[in-house]
Amino acid sequence: MDKLVRIAIAGEGGQGVQSIADILAEAGNEEGKEALYIPNFGIEQRGGVSLAYVQIGDKLIGSPKFEEGDVVVALSERAVKRIISYVGSNTIFVYDNSLIVIPEVTEEIENMPSYQAMDTNKEKELFREKINNSIHIQKTAATVTGVPATDLAKRELHPRVFNVIVLGAVIEAAKIVSEESVKRAMENNLGRKFEKDPALRELNHKALHKGIEIIRKALVRS
Amino acid sequence: MEKPIVEEKRVFMTGNEVVAWGAIAAQADIMYGYPITPQNEIMHYWTRLAPKYQKKFLQTEDELSAGFATIGGVIAGKKAFSATAGPGNTLFQEPVSMAEMMRIPMVVVIQQRGGPSTATVIYSQQEVNMTTYGGNGEGMRIVYSTASHQELFDCMIKAFNNAWKYRFPTFVLGDGYQAKMREPLVMYDPQDRGIELIEPEIIIGKEGVPGRDRDPVFLRNAYSMEEELYDVLMPTIEEYDRIAPEITEYHSFSCEDADLIIVAHGIVSRAAVAAVEDLRKEGVKVGVFRPVTLRPFPEEALREVAGITPNFLVVESSNGQMARLFKEALFGMEVKMDTIFKPGVGITSEEIVQQVKNIADSGIKTTIK
Repeated sequence: MDKLVRIAIAGEGGQGVQSIADILAEAGNEEGKEALYIPNFGIEQRGGVSLAYVQIGDKLIGSPKFEEGDVVVALSERAVKRIISYVGSNTIFVYDNSLIVIPEVTEEIENMPSYQAMDTNKEKELFREKINNSIHIQKTAATVTGVPATDLAKRELHPRVFNVIVLGAVIEAAKIVSEESVKRAMENNLGRKFEKDPALRELNHKALHKGIEIIRKALVRS
Repeated sequence: MEKPIVEEKRVFMTGNEVVAWGAIAAQADIMYGYPITPQNEIMHYWTRLAPKYQKKFLQTEDELSAGFATIGGVIAGKKAFSATAGPGNTLFQEPVSMAEMMRIPMVVVIQQRGGPSTATVIYSQQEVNMTTYGGNGEGMRIVYSTASHQELFDCMIKAFNNAWKYRFPTFVLGDGYQAKMREPLVMYDPQDRGIELIEPEIIIGKEGVPGRDRDPVFLRNAYSMEEELYDVLMPTIEEYDRIAPEITEYHSFSCEDADLIIVAHGIVSRAAVAAVEDLRKEGVKVGVFRPVTLRPFPEEALREVAGITPNFLVVESSNGQMARLFKEALFGMEVKMDTIFKPGVGITSEEIVQQVKNIADSGIKTTIK
């Protein structure tokens, strides 16, 4: 059976969404697989939400964009809104739970104290939308998993490897490329920086492994 | 000088980078260009590679100039090319018409973006009309519509070879997705694969005294008499029609026993192939017919598959620009054409699967009725 994994990642500009998508696709290529990475370019290039689409499989990939992701990643509140349409019944939804709250709400939004405390209609509208989105994700996705990547990076590693923790989480959820191939792809991209500062390599490897471990545990639980 | 591609190697890069490497592999000498998204990186990569392999680059003041400068480079005997998109392609139509008239083998890469006008910098298949039949002429060009990075590389080599062999302006027609996405391909030196590279030659400024040592070269794009123009044009049109079968390329996939054939070109054809693979698993007999050259269009091959089934689904990211070529090719035959036209927007295999199922359902209904 031909395997094909589709991954959509969304975050704020500067969070390193495109770098991890690029490394991920390159890891697929390192394994001799077909891999296709396309950034959502255009006006979004200049700030705002950054989206990346990666597909890795055994055969030449079809269209560069797709409708439902096997792994869908959101790294900011705004990104949830942009990426929600890619969540389907087979999706593993991964989000940074140190930045985003995905509440599992069943009660009426109007009864919630935080909703009642809001002053303006605009605020209430945004809140409603947020809650509705998260309910939709909870109901639709096969698995919803929070990864406290930002907190972990700050506390245990370094804020700049935040996205590499996410990358680790993605490869464990996607199960299409190995940790080793990702390390090789990182070497292709960051090799020169690593040569200058070998500690940086170790930091990145640690972050990658951290991400893998979190998802491994989370997926066993669910 | 260092050989650019020493041995065949698998690489993973963006389409724009592939175009630059393809031009190097084809032994192009010079690129003339003016920046426009989404093809900018072709210039960036070319200028990065150029000093290493003794190539040249000139940035002109606009696309009109880039087109005419490319013609100048060719006349001087160099393998010259350019790259553009959207409104840049519009400006290129004037120099390309001149190249048609004077039989100048210029090569132009188009990375289609949304239109009309500035529209989007992202993606479309809306430059088919313009690239195949634009300008004030008779569409005497060669147009390759590529679907993958491997084909982008292969077609760059073919484009220079066929331009110089047949002396018609030649386009490689990609799009913003192909420009920006990364995927694997194998790069090679065409000569190592036994592909002969056609040598360019000086067109004006050949050795010897004109009229004494050799015939004078007289390139004209202006004629004073109707009949004079007609006498020049008709042999050119006849020559184009005669060589067309040597250039025409198409892919047909699972058409042999198909009840419905999807027609798509470029990157959209990949969604069509993926859709057919899914539908075949469910026992739906569909195939894909994909023109690789849009000029000359693979008319005969298409008419042949129309003999298998008269049911077609034409899919493209424009409002029927390729469908026009499709209809012209099938003139006089009775066929049924359903469509997915999404101007300036990408098309997924899921959408195609759904549409084929809708057609199948309505077909069943008709039979029952």
